[in-house]
Amino acid sequence: MRRSRVQTLVLTLALGALAVLWLAPIVWVMVTSLKVTADIVRLPPEWIPWPMTAEHYREVLFSSSRTARIGRAFANSLVIALGAVVIVVLTAAMAAYPLARMRFAGRDVVFTLVVGSLMIPNAVVLVPQYVLVQRLGWLSTYQGLIVPEAAMTFAFGVFLLRQFFLTMPGDLEEAARIDGANAWQIFTRIVLPLSQPVLAALAIFAFRSAWNDFLWPLIAVNKPEMFPLPVALALLRSAYSSESYGPIMAGAALSALPLLVVFIVANQRIVEGVRVSGLKG
Amino acid sequence: MRRRRRRQTGTAYLFLLPGLLLFVVFRLYPLLEGLRMSFTNARLGRATYQYVGLANYTRLAEDTRFGVSLWNTAFYTVASTLPILAVPLGLALALNRGALRNVLRGVFFFPFTLSVVTVGLAWLWLLDPVVGPFNYYLRALGVPARSWLADPATAMWAIIGTTVWWVTGYYLVVYLAGLQDIPRELYEAAALDGAGGWRTFWTITLPLLRPVLLFVVVTHVIGSFQIFGQVFVLTMGGPGDATRTVVQHLYETAFQNFFQFGAASAMAWVLFAIIMVFSILQFRLLRGHTEY
Amino acid sequence: MNRRAFLAGAAAATAAWPPRGAAQPKPSITYWNGLTGADGKVMDELIERFTRETGIRIEQQRLPWAELYPKLQVSVPAGEGPDLALIHTVEVPHFANDGVLETIDDATAAAKGFRGDDYLPATWQGGTFQGKRYSLPLDVPQHVLYLNVKVMKDAGLTGADGKPKVPASRDELVSMAKKMTKADSFGFAIGTSNPGRYTWGFHNLLWQNGANIYTADLKRAGVGDPAALEAAEFWAGLAGGLGIAPPANANCRDAFIANRLGMWIAGSWNFTGLREAKIDFTAAPVPKLFKQPVVWSMPHQYAFPKPKSVDRAKRDAAWTHIRWMTDHVAEWTLKAGQVSASRKAHTDPRITGDPVLKTLLGQAPNWQVGQPTPKWVAAENLTRPVIESVYTGQKPAKAAMEDLARQINALPD
Repeated sequence: MRRSRVQTLVLTLALGALAVLWLAPIVWVMVTSLKVTADIVRLPPEWIPWPMTAEHYREVLFSSSRTARIGRAFANSLVIALGAVVIVVLTAAMAAYPLARMRFAGRDVVFTLVVGSLMIPNAVVLVPQYVLVQRLGWLSTYQGLIVPEAAMTFAFGVFLLRQFFLTMPGDLEEAARIDGANAWQIFTRIVLPLSQPVLAALAIFAFRSAWNDFLWPLIAVNKPEMFPLPVALALLRSAYSSESYGPIMAGAALSALPLLVVFIVANQRIVEGVRVSGLKG
Repeated sequence: MRRRRRRQTGTAYLFLLPGLLLFVVFRLYPLLEGLRMSFTNARLGRATYQYVGLANYTRLAEDTRFGVSLWNTAFYTVASTLPILAVPLGLALALNRGALRNVLRGVFFFPFTLSVVTVGLAWLWLLDPVVGPFNYYLRALGVPARSWLADPATAMWAIIGTTVWWVTGYYLVVYLAGLQDIPRELYEAAALDGAGGWRTFWTITLPLLRPVLLFVVVTHVIGSFQIFGQVFVLTMGGPGDATRTVVQHLYETAFQNFFQFGAASAMAWVLFAIIMVFSILQFRLLRGHTEY
Repeated sequence: MNRRAFLAGAAAATAAWPPRGAAQPKPSITYWNGLTGADGKVMDELIERFTRETGIRIEQQRLPWAELYPKLQVSVPAGEGPDLALIHTVEVPHFANDGVLETIDDATAAAKGFRGDDYLPATWQGGTFQGKRYSLPLDVPQHVLYLNVKVMKDAGLTGADGKPKVPASRDELVSMAKKMTKADSFGFAIGTSNPGRYTWGFHNLLWQNGANIYTADLKRAGVGDPAALEAAEFWAGLAGGLGIAPPANANCRDAFIANRLGMWIAGSWNFTGLREAKIDFTAAPVPKLFKQPVVWSMPHQYAFPKPKSVDRAKRDAAWTHIRWMTDHVAEWTLKAGQVSASRKAHTDPRITGDPVLKTLLGQAPNWQVGQPTPKWVAAENLTRPVIESVYTGQKPAKAAMEDLARQINALPD
């Protein structure tokens, strides 16, 4: 390549500077969350939180006076996201397998319906979904949040997994079938283990979607102790309150934590998932 | 052969059962039920309702605030498409030429892992007109500071900027993957022909990225039509109704002011129709251009 | 042991159970309120004390007021409402109208020790709708004028005693504010955050000019009337023509704390937070900017959301809490800065000795509350974006107010 070393260096430095600026908002959130209340509203803005304090974190996690109990909200989000992931991965895999591997009556209809539903914006089903969940008695419950979240990601999961199954060479399955294994055995003992990368990618995608969903929990939960994190955070900031930014930023920082961890640990998987979903889309 | 197919049908549907149950009950049924509700005057708390024909739809036509929110949503969608297309692409091209690609990619991707509320709160604080750091530094540089989120001329652009910051990382990864798929030989051949960077970009990179670009546009547009979180946190539809969006109007109609479920359902279906039309157009375009 | 003896023994044992002196398990009640500010912490402390003294546990749920009300509206018909709620006076008419609240008959209230004479009239009246009582008042959040000593001193607006000058008229306020308004500093603001959409401040101005959201007969919108327009023009000028106020989405509280705001009309619930932030400030009565020195007030009211079936023990526990809070309201006033609705606490020397509380009490003759119509809150929701568009200059005041009047008149019953 005729690109010179200097050019590459300059470019990298420029990108590095941009990256630092890019992270500035997040750094500001972290820094604010660690400042003493008296220092938060100070001009010129201070980027080093000194003296540092954990009082805001303590307050949002443990204090009962917190408007929506961030600590509890964090736990709620975890339960909801994990529950949704389990349901989506299981149901999508089980649905994608016959769609990819079997011939049966109505296959194309089912597939078209499911994939077509990708076009349905969540807002369109919001109100009737609310009525349905209310009639089931599931308002302000975990299942009332987990199941609809799973339903939101289901179609995408089917689409993704079917693509993957289609590209898998079928000889292992064929061999197993000749050996007398039934569909379920083939599915669980051969197909699923081979699909780990894409299952992981789907799991991460579903986790993020459920963790960050805002509108549905906002309306489907009437008990503040059942709010997941985004709703609890949003309600910390209210129109006429005298809320200090310290607890709000602490809550925001906490909400970023699990995904940051997942992201660091599973960086490759996420990229792979994005790649697969993006290019075949 | 037919016996095998029949047996397979039974097994297939057993596999499909849990997923189909989930799908039918929580996606298909609400979709159709929403259509039915849009022809009624259903209200939360009212056990009975009547069918009112197209009344909800005609009332929508007269509802100026719905019109405003449609316009705002359309404006947001169109105005944000170019930055969403261009910024991650530019970054991807730059990242491909520089070093530390994976690290940088991670940094730019990170905001995407945050919830829309976290993103909104961070930028709300940053953009505060009196005590926010962004305006402070602008003033220090001699640039007149504005109340970005309270000025009708800039509010929507501030929201677009926030969104670009949030999702660029995701599209960056998509573009990077797309760029990697372009065969090296094409670039080498172009270099041998004496083509410069810009020309290479227009004649090789861009055309080969078309499917990716279309994916980005389609994903972004469908998401943009439903924008809610950023607006809720940053401006609540303000100043005035300058950033009021369709989903916000829907949310307030159904769950804040009068709990008018019938009217809100009509709104939802109008939105759905618009998105459907747009998606169909997109798919037509996509199908026409994947051959190269 | 023969059977008769056994039965006698069992009977005796049953009669003696529960063992005399042992307490009945105390009920726990759910309690919703919107006290998301500094006063929320004070409420927590008082509730803890209450539980220690009476054994009754209270499960508090707290949401911002704007979200609390729809949630209440949705949960109560579904039987998931709380046992006790703290709401604003203006919410009583529409909740009562929608059947969300239980009536409180005067005999029961009197039996529990709640008498009208003990209360300031506006607060006692506010708990009724169409002749029936639905709530009991606790305190009176109201507006007050905060003055930032540093900002005013820097602008030469303090007297010989170092105390900031108090403006006596609109013109004086404007000229003083102009002296304090610089690049990133402002002379005057109404509202805590998002002053552009601060309807409570707008109401204050309307009422000072004798105008209101509805006409006196509550039949049609009054925001298009000349007196209302005058207030709206002033609203438009704040950040616009006069240029003395911060942008529509500024956080005035933070600006005041950062010494970027000189004069600030805002809720009394802010002042304990200001003291904690160690800001040098004084408080003065809301100045007379128009015809009358009206002070906006919004008493908090205790109300019983209608349950599917009344649990006697929980209801009694809720009454006990209201009684206890009313008896200890001086603590609430001192720590949360909200003047009590009950008159008894007003003579407490700790209260009269505090300059800010004294100012708040002094405003009592000028208090005004929202109109008792079920459409008040819906009208307020419509008002918010309209006054914001006036504040930012998107719409001229006259056209905006006329549009608002049209929207308000179109509200269904």
